[in-house]
Formats: sequence, C-alpha cells, structure tokens
Amino acid sequence: MSGVREVGEVSEMTVVDARTEHATVGRPPVEPSRYSLRHPRSRIAWVRPAIWAPFVLMVAVLALLWHWGAEKLPYLLPPLSDIGHSLSSDLGYYTGNAMVTLGEATAGLATGFAAAFVLAVLTSELPPLRRAVMPIAVVLNVTPLVAIAPALVVAFGFGPTPKLVIAALICFFPIFINVSAGLRSVPQQVLQVYRTIDASRAELLWHVRVPNALPYLFAALRIVFPLSIVGAVVAEMSAAGSARGLGTAISVASSMNQLPVVYASIAVLAVMGVLLLLAVTLVERRVLHWHDSAHD
Amino acid sequence: MTGTPALELRSVHRTYGFGPSATIALDDVGLTVPAGRFVSLIGPSGCGKSTLLRIAAGLEEPDHGEIRLHGVPPARACAAKMIGLVPQSPALLPWLSVLKNVTLPHRINKRAARRRERITGSGERTTNAPDMRQLLVKAGLGEAMDKLPAELSGGMRQRAAIVRAFGLRPDVLVMDEPFSALDEFTRESLQDQLLDLWDELKTTVLFVTHSVSEAVRLSDTVVVMAPRPGRIVDTIEIDLPRPRNDRLFAERRFHEYEDLVRDRLHSAWHREAA
Repeated sequence: MSGVREVGEVSEMTVVDARTEHATVGRPPVEPSRYSLRHPRSRIAWVRPAIWAPFVLMVAVLALLWHWGAEKLPYLLPPLSDIGHSLSSDLGYYTGNAMVTLGEATAGLATGFAAAFVLAVLTSELPPLRRAVMPIAVVLNVTPLVAIAPALVVAFGFGPTPKLVIAALICFFPIFINVSAGLRSVPQQVLQVYRTIDASRAELLWHVRVPNALPYLFAALRIVFPLSIVGAVVAEMSAAGSARGLGTAISVASSMNQLPVVYASIAVLAVMGVLLLLAVTLVERRVLHWHDSAHD
Repeated sequence: MTGTPALELRSVHRTYGFGPSATIALDDVGLTVPAGRFVSLIGPSGCGKSTLLRIAAGLEEPDHGEIRLHGVPPARACAAKMIGLVPQSPALLPWLSVLKNVTLPHRINKRAARRRERITGSGERTTNAPDMRQLLVKAGLGEAMDKLPAELSGGMRQRAAIVRAFGLRPDVLVMDEPFSALDEFTRESLQDQLLDLWDELKTTVLFVTHSVSEAVRLSDTVVVMAPRPGRIVDTIEIDLPRPRNDRLFAERRFHEYEDLVRDRLHSAWHREAA
C-alpha cells in the first residue's frame, strides 16, 4: 500500500479491497483511481500530437479561410496581417482601453455577486421574501439588458456608473439562481443529523448550506465572468459620447470603416474572456478540491 | 435518574394525508425503553417503524400522544444534544475530512452541555469531551482520518457516521437502517464494531431494521411492528449472552430467536391478510 503504484495495478486493487472490506480494518483505503491516474495522464497528454493536432489544424484552416475571404471581399474581413499590425503598433491604445473595460466588468461583477449572494442567503432563510423576490428576478432575467442600457446612460451619464450597473445586472441572475439552489439542496438526512443536535440557522448556514452552495456558485461564475465583459461592452456602445473602453473603440472604429481596429479590439476582448475563465477555473480547483468537478 | 426510562412513548398517533386516502402510520403506539437497552424495531415497510424513530428523535411531531426522553420532550432533548442520529445514508459533509466531520457536532450548539446537565443530572458525560481521534482509531478509521468521504468505501463512510453519533455520547442513539445499503460482509463487520462501541459507552439504542438476524444479533429487545395501521404487535426479549461474536451464529438459541421473530412477523402479516 505504498504511494508508488503501477497504473494498471491500482484499479485491480480497488476491486479487491471493496470485496474484502471487513478484513481491511485499520489499513489505509485505496484511493479512488482518479487521484493516482488523472494528474500524470493529463500532464503528458499535451505531449501527444493526437491531442493538440486537431486543434492546431482547425486554427490553420480557419486562418486560411479568413485570408481567402479578406482577399475576395475587403469589406467583409480585414487581412489578418493588418489586425496584427494594428495590435502591435498601437498596443498601448488596446491595453489602455482593455483595462478600462476590464475595470468596469470586474467592478460590476463584484457588485452583482455581492447583491446576488446576500439576496440568495436572505431568500433561502425567509420563504416569504423568496416568493416576493423570485418573480421579479425572473422578469429581470428575461428583459434584454441591451434595451435598458441607453436608459441607464441617460440616468447615470457617460461615466463608468452605467457600465458597472449593466455588468452587475447581467451577472446577478445566474449567481442568484445557482446559489439559491445550492443553499437549498442540502440532503435531507444531513439536515436531520444537525437538527437532532439543534443546530441554529446561522450554524447550519455557515457550516452546511454555504459550503454546499460553493459548487453551484462556481458553475455560475464560469458563466458570469465572461458575461460581465459583455455587459460592460454593451453599455460602452450605448453611451455614444463615452471616450474610453473597447466597446467605445469598436463603435468609433466601425463608424470610420477601420475594420482592422474593430477586429483587433474584438480579439483583445476574446483574450480577456479566456483569461477570466481561466482564473475562475484555477480558483475553482483550489476551493472545490473535494468536489467531482475539480477532477474533470 | 435511574428511575426515569430513557425513552417513553404513550398512545402515539400519526396519520399521513386526509380523508379516504389517509394512511395511519402509527396507531396508539406505546413503548418504554429503560436506559442502556439496545432496542430494535422490525417490520415490513409501511409499519411505521421509521416514523416512530423520527418522532422519537424530534424530527417529526405526532398527531397526539406523548414522548419523553429521560423525562423531557424530544425538542428539549435535541436542544441538550442528548440524541445521536445515524441515518440510512452516512450524511457526511463531502468538503470536510473524516475527523472534521465527526468533530463538527461538538462545535455546534455549545450551550447544550449546561442544559443536558440540568436534565440528566450528571455533567460527567459532557465534561470530558471524548477524544474523537481515539474513537476513530477504534472504529478502524485511524488511517482515514484526514481523508475526504469520497475517498472512502461505503462501509467506512457509515462507520464515520456512527462515530459522529457516538462521539456526542448521546443518551439515546437513534439508528435508521444504517447498514441497509451495505453488502453482507461489510454489514457484519459493522455490526461487530457497533456492538464494541456500544459495549464501551452503554447508551440506549433505538435501531430500525428490516433484517431479522441483525435485530436478534444486536438487540436486548426486538419490537415487532405491523402495517395498516402501523402498530406494535409483539415485544421479544433476546436473552443471549454478550459479547455476541461470530460464534453466536452457530448457536441453536440464536436461530430459535430468529424463527420466533420471523413467526411473529408472519402471523401479523397473515392476520392482516385474512
């Protein structure tokens, strides 16, 4: 039962141990195979061409198609080289605007997260409040936020506030719904164990319900991190007079037919989205090491 | 407090539903369990044994009737942490290690100790907090202490759940078919360990099962129940020596008790069919 095992041996030993469970009292249990197998395998996975080649091939094909399309129809797509040139020569312009958009998005995300989490806790503890709030939250969710954006610009001006509000609104619903579900999905028998020792609602919330909601929260964050950028960009585009942000850059450039700038900005937005998603995934692996999702 | 029974139920009624579709889960059930006894409830599904257990543990209210644990109603017994519950599934928290899972109940409802002293009259049980590590080692979970529940086998998880309940040194330990999801080998080894732990702590146990041999092997008293309406049809004292180990299975008296319990279950069944 040492730490080092042959890969093929592990699953076999798991089976044996399960059968002779009564005889193994006091011995360390065999770890489920995922702990010993998955990590080494996933690390070597990227060395094998079979894993990465299809992706690289796909990118190459898309780039070729793009190149071909840009040559035939100059107004459909700018040449990739122009986009690259614009990015490299005006790097400061793109990073500066990216930081503005990112700041709006994350501030909105933080606001939406705090509001959604607090409200989810309150509504899970107070059923009448849930019945009051839930329909409104659903209506808010089905309302196209793009339609609200201009009104918010009128209300809050061309500063960062309307962007923050839109990003927060767009993030609110997924977090609220998921955390509510997580808080309320504690197995009945777990609740019974803690009810027989008369755990208070606060104790139950802190020790049982909130940790139980964490996987649900992270599922929401994976959706909401990229969405927050969508919110910020939409708000920037609705505010005709605003000066900064990638959304503004896109609307200004497209009004002047600067297609390379438009697509360079879009590329930067895409990279930001990927980085945010990566950040959530890393934190999730840390926090949810106990949960199945961390091993997928 | 030797005179007060650990558990006392008087004319307990519980009906589910309304009108013609109503099922009488418990009909005028009375039961008295002296402290330190191991009592099993056995019967076919629908006989109300789990309802009885939930009512005794304060998880459900009867329609009428009276329940007392060491002289106090279930709600007060819960508030004083006098009840330990082992549900059908281990009900461990997947984000906590085994050790943290079994020690969490000690960090919850800390005011219970004083309430309990007032009810049972002795602070002795609660002042020396049990060394949970030692209890885990005794249950064969010494090596698994720092592991997560997902890394354990089903049998080990259920053992952890039993340790969690025993760790409270409950005055009444309530177990709802805790071994029903386990394979036969694991079940027998867990029965052994349950008896070992019980031997040491000598708490009162209310144990729901649908296995005749499990009931006979573990209990001082087997309470036979029948459905429609849920009721107690017989109470059988199991007069077998303790400790009860593997040799017990070979003994004739063990099988006689098994046959007796089975016979009572059958006659209750047939009387209903007739």
